[in-house]
Amino acid sequence: MADTIADCADAVSAFFADAFADLDGWRNDLAGGQSSVRPADLDAHVEGLVVPALTSASPLFVGAGFIAAPGYVRGRDIHFAWWLGPQTGNPLLGSSSSATRLDLATRAYTDYVRDFRTLEWYQVPQSTNQTHVTGPYVDHLCTCEYIFTLTMPVRIDDDTPMVGVVGADVSVRRLEAAVLPLFLAADRPLALVNAVDRVVISTEPTLQVGQLAPHSGNSVACSGLPFRVLVGPDRLPRL
Amino acid sequence: MRPGARDAIFAQLVDAGRTEQVTARLTDAIILGVLAPDERLPSESDLARRFGVALITVREGLAVLRDSGLIETRRGRGGGSFVMRADAPHSTLVQARLRGLAQVDLSDMAIYFATIVEGCAQRAAVRASRPDSDRLDLWLSGSDFATVAGARTNAGGFYVELAVLSQSARLVRELIRLQAEFGPLLLLGMTDARARESLVESNRAIAGAVRANDEASARQLATEQVRALAEWLLNAKARIERGGALNG
Repeated sequence: MADTIADCADAVSAFFADAFADLDGWRNDLAGGQSSVRPADLDAHVEGLVVPALTSASPLFVGAGFIAAPGYVRGRDIHFAWWLGPQTGNPLLGSSSSATRLDLATRAYTDYVRDFRTLEWYQVPQSTNQTHVTGPYVDHLCTCEYIFTLTMPVRIDDDTPMVGVVGADVSVRRLEAAVLPLFLAADRPLALVNAVDRVVISTEPTLQVGQLAPHSGNSVACSGLPFRVLVGPDRLPRL
Repeated sequence: MRPGARDAIFAQLVDAGRTEQVTARLTDAIILGVLAPDERLPSESDLARRFGVALITVREGLAVLRDSGLIETRRGRGGGSFVMRADAPHSTLVQARLRGLAQVDLSDMAIYFATIVEGCAQRAAVRASRPDSDRLDLWLSGSDFATVAGARTNAGGFYVELAVLSQSARLVRELIRLQAEFGPLLLLGMTDARARESLVESNRAIAGAVRANDEASARQLATEQVRALAEWLLNAKARIERGGALNG
């Protein structure tokens, strides 16, 4: 049964590894360019990379794109080249049947700069030069869904500062569909938690998604991720 | 500006009478100061998509606003619909809006709004991690509540922050929808310096309760905050009905 628990952790890692493989392709494509770009050229380039991934039959991502570091896009501070997949009944953006550009002209630009939650997905890859998973969190700026944001730093040369991050948003629902059957196959309750022990998936009924899990027992780390699987997590007396 | 205060203006509409809803949503936002003078509205097609209505409905709604002198349409490059700079505050329109709403409806809206905000505050206190509390404090300390415009924007923004900390996408969505419907009116009291001061004190207390994971206090403080805003509004309505001014 220990194998089953390890399988759960591996399945979570594999799910994110697949997603990061897409980001890695975009990064390699963008990293081959110049040390500065024109906004229209960058936007067209990024759109060509991410829109196919957002409009496929069963898209893994609800949003994706590239956020440029200050100075990389000529004449711009931080520049967003970000697209959202088809939306149904989004309270902020309405409905659309195709991918739409995140339009900062009609949104409050300072939201993005002041929002320290979303900046996590920029700052961590910048300071660590590693991929990062932010969340789960309710994305109140774009999709109003419970999501993870995956980001990866882009550098033109290994020894130069990053020119931005490629990123993609994945809904928690999507991860659950992929791995919950494995979690249910274990003979003990399990809970997948992030770095602050927030529950992402749980087969312990007193522990619900979004809660912080108290835990005193064993856990299995998900390789390459700030996540772990709690084995027989402590039961919570109430919500 | 936060989605709760401004982007929510353009949130999707429901039911019949959609032209009237477009007109009412934008009129409230303009006369109550959420949309600033000279600010450009999103394009007609973008408004249609975001409200979830036909293009013709948006055009009809904008025509009503033009006739009321609330917006003007400029042609050419950089054109679009712009919020008109009013010679005087829109106090006549605000008074008309308050007269037009029954006390019973104002009270009912306040109760529903309070119920959602209480739930957000309580769940935020249960679910906030230490880094979440740090971010909430940072957000609060970086937010302007001293000016009328700042207080209006950030009061709504703080509710959204609480909703986000609840980890519930549905609470966030409902809060944004409710703020679109009721936010500009509820925050009318932000013209009052004392009301702004007590609001910011209340927000700090709520943030403290969230940090302490004290769900009962967070909930109680949210109840009291929305009650104070609603009382200000009901008092203002009573003053206006008696022939007095908006600010007593």
